[in-house]
Amino acid sequence: MRLGRYDVTLEPRTTRPAFYSSLTAAGAILLALALASVLFLSAQTPLLEAYRAIFSYAFFNPNGLLATIHRSIYLLLCTYAFLVPLRAGLWNIGLPGQVYAGGVAAFAIPFVFRTQEAQTLSLPPVLLILLMVASAAAAGAVVGGFAGILRARFQVSEILVTMMLNSILFWLVAYMIKEGGPFMSPRGEGESFALPPALHAPLLWGVPFTAVLALGAAVFLDILFAKTPLGYRIRAFGQSPAAARYGGIIPLALSLLVFLLGGGFAGLAGYHYFAALPGVYKISGNYGYYGDLSFYGIISALIARGSSLGAVPIAVLFAGLSLGARFAQGELRLPFGVDYALLGLLMMTFVASHVLYQFRVAWRRVPSLALRHAPTQLPPG
Amino acid sequence: MPKPLHADGPSAEPILAARALTKRFPGVLALDHVDVEVQEREIHAILGQNGAGKTTLMNILFGLVQPDEGALFLRGHQVEFRSPHDALAHGIGMVHQTRRLVSAHTVLENIVLGHPRVRGVLNLRRVAPEVEVLCNKYGFTVDLAARVWQLPEGERQWVEILKALYRGAQALILDEPTSTLTPPEVTTLLAGLQALVRDQGVTILLVTHKLPIVMAASHRVTVLRSGKVVARVRTADATEDMLVRHMIGRDIAVRTGKRSGEPGLPVLQVDRLSAVNDKGQLALQDISFSLREGEILGVAGVTGNGQDELAQVLAGLRDAVSGTVRFDGRDVTGLSPLAHWRVGIGYVPAERVEVASIAAFSLVENTALNYHFDPAFARRGLLDDARLEQLTRNILSGYDVKAPTARTRAQHLSGGNLQKLILGRVLSRKPRLLIAHLPTQGLDVEAAAFVRAALLDAKADGAAIVLISEDLDEILSLADWVAPIYEGRFGAVLPRAEADIETVGAMMAGWSAKEVRVQ
Ligand SMILES: Nc1ncnc2c1ncn2[C@@H]1O[C@H](COP(=O)(O)OP(=O)(O)OP(=O)(O)O)[C@@H](O)[C@H]1O
Ligand SMILES: [Mg+2]
Repeated sequence: MRLGRYDVTLEPRTTRPAFYSSLTAAGAILLALALASVLFLSAQTPLLEAYRAIFSYAFFNPNGLLATIHRSIYLLLCTYAFLVPLRAGLWNIGLPGQVYAGGVAAFAIPFVFRTQEAQTLSLPPVLLILLMVASAAAAGAVVGGFAGILRARFQVSEILVTMMLNSILFWLVAYMIKEGGPFMSPRGEGESFALPPALHAPLLWGVPFTAVLALGAAVFLDILFAKTPLGYRIRAFGQSPAAARYGGIIPLALSLLVFLLGGGFAGLAGYHYFAALPGVYKISGNYGYYGDLSFYGIISALIARGSSLGAVPIAVLFAGLSLGARFAQGELRLPFGVDYALLGLLMMTFVASHVLYQFRVAWRRVPSLALRHAPTQLPPG
Repeated sequence: MPKPLHADGPSAEPILAARALTKRFPGVLALDHVDVEVQEREIHAILGQNGAGKTTLMNILFGLVQPDEGALFLRGHQVEFRSPHDALAHGIGMVHQTRRLVSAHTVLENIVLGHPRVRGVLNLRRVAPEVEVLCNKYGFTVDLAARVWQLPEGERQWVEILKALYRGAQALILDEPTSTLTPPEVTTLLAGLQALVRDQGVTILLVTHKLPIVMAASHRVTVLRSGKVVARVRTADATEDMLVRHMIGRDIAVRTGKRSGEPGLPVLQVDRLSAVNDKGQLALQDISFSLREGEILGVAGVTGNGQDELAQVLAGLRDAVSGTVRFDGRDVTGLSPLAHWRVGIGYVPAERVEVASIAAFSLVENTALNYHFDPAFARRGLLDDARLEQLTRNILSGYDVKAPTARTRAQHLSGGNLQKLILGRVLSRKPRLLIAHLPTQGLDVEAAAFVRAALLDAKADGAAIVLISEDLDEILSLADWVAPIYEGRFGAVLPRAEADIETVGAMMAGWSAKEVRVQ
């Protein structure tokens, strides 16, 4: 575009000030909310009332806030599960499968130790809880690691493998909890037996201890990638496998490692959802819903550009808005699916803001047509 | 010397002109009010040292980079290239410094791929005759059905050129087109370019820092130094000396390496080594030699005769199918790449962008590529960032690498500066054995002399060096032993005194030692 003696264009940004990223993120949220007004207006709901219902439930109502925190922990653990392999350039979209594996493995502990009913525990409850956590993480890691091995050793696409594992594990859970399945609830309602109260995860102010894991991992992962040799290797491999190999990094070991780690986090997410949430403590019949929810972990990892601390506010936002919108839907008789629509809008505005953030407006003076003199004599000296 | 086809007095309207182009990158003024005029149907050379701003200038002309100030004019009308797409639409094509072909695809697919017209469905049968007509028109003979990886480098270059012509380019920008070609391929390329200009009326902008190429092929030259145009001359009026002094601004300062003493203990013994390439074909056969401390073995050959495989096997990046490599008396065949670094073997690969560096990483992080496993660079389980930065700074100053800061990304370094950085990084490990593959490729005269001096320094400090190069003069000036390589075999391993240019040259072309002696 031409403005007087100046030329104005959009061009890629070479340096990106850090505060811009928070600014664009805030802009994206506002834009998504503004776009969502269309939904509310079409349902003839007063706008302010709709927004108030969403936010007050998600962040100010005691029940809602607790639910937001619970869901944030789940989303965060899913985020890490995707983020760790992502830093190595690999796509772990097997989150649901790994979450299911974590849930099943957690419930396998009381099942094996025959404590699902009896009041008599064969081992101290703390030990059993630790075993459940470990077994969930290990199961997620095994499922993730399987994809990692296939990818590193046989060049099978990790995306295909993890997708297939998702449906296999979905049916495994269905088999375990169905009528007659090993984990069947005594009343047989298509859900698993409930954990005995002694095995409920310890709570701090109503929040299970998995919150500590989720926040601790946020700090730990950022430090891991920024400062440690292992984190360096993962990033180097993610940027250029050929250069990483030249630098002595072993591709097989590294791919396996990131999938083990990622799968482990997803397994923990499964533990958190099915075995640590007050009011749940069982694998419910609609477990597939939580599997689908895990995909928001992928989106928040991508939006946070691989930063685990950066993902915390995003996961909280996703958790709060999805719960708040669901609540508002019931309260104000909004059309079915506003919660999904809102999350979808958020995703779109985040992506759009990323594109914008890569560019800047440039002003350029248009020069005159005369050729500057350049010597053809030798320079002195 | 070719004569300009058009009178190039100031009256002729230039087909492409740049006015007062200025481009700043953080910490560098890459172009400073640069004016360039290219006349129709000429070969216009842009000459300059590493980091002079040549690639930046071409990227602007092709719409890949936007200038901070200045404008472009096409036949006197101002144009604006926001992307290569715009440049192509105005008939300007570019062949980049690095190949951009998809090597698993056929020549035909590569040529038509990305053409605006074939964006939707690719109907190869329909476009094939068109491409054939084009090939005939330009007198270009290549098997359109061949896969690109099967072609020698020189032909790949032509595929790139054809790709640009197929998109209707009337003006072609070639960035360092000869840096990966062998001397005969260079001759063919230059002859072909001249024919394009003469018979087809194409205009060519040729970026290079090689004077003989400028003298042999161009009509006019624009010389860049540190982002400024310092001279604009007709090649017919120029001499090599004069261009060098414009380019450098003073006489060449050639650093000479340290004198070395007697060779020391044996370092490397290679015995009947064979290896296969990525396609599983035997690419290296029965290679045997040994090397002592302070000795340089020069492996001379035309690219693609097993040099890659040799370097990779010695560095532990490729398995040997038979034979052994002993380092300091210990069998290292089959050890991991990491183990090779640890025992003191350093490797400077030919592919500096793809293998030896990580574009998006800072220079400090690139240094870590050779140090992440080194206990001296770890503190309480973390990488010692301060120490890595210090080391990087030392490499930047010690090897005269032009970079704004140690935190600059590697992708922002010019080709030559990146090469010096990599060599400095590997040498900073003080390897007992250095494998240097094409270490001066793409460097200007001064930088190449610098790198050779650095190799001699390392030799004087007792390193054994395997120097793999296409440049016979370079090998003869540095090496103690010369091994011509052809189709994966050494023709001989000659002491420097017995290696004259004719013998080695003949063996590089596949003559056996016996045949050479009979001659
Ligand atoms: N994207 C970028 N960001 C920052 N600096 C850059 C960028 N691109 C180039 N530079 C700097 O601009 C200068 C000119 O670089 P350019 O690549 O144009 O040199 P060149 O003449 O092509 O050199 P060579 O012969 O080594 O390829 C160099 O100092 C380089 O470090
Ligand atoms: Mg360049």
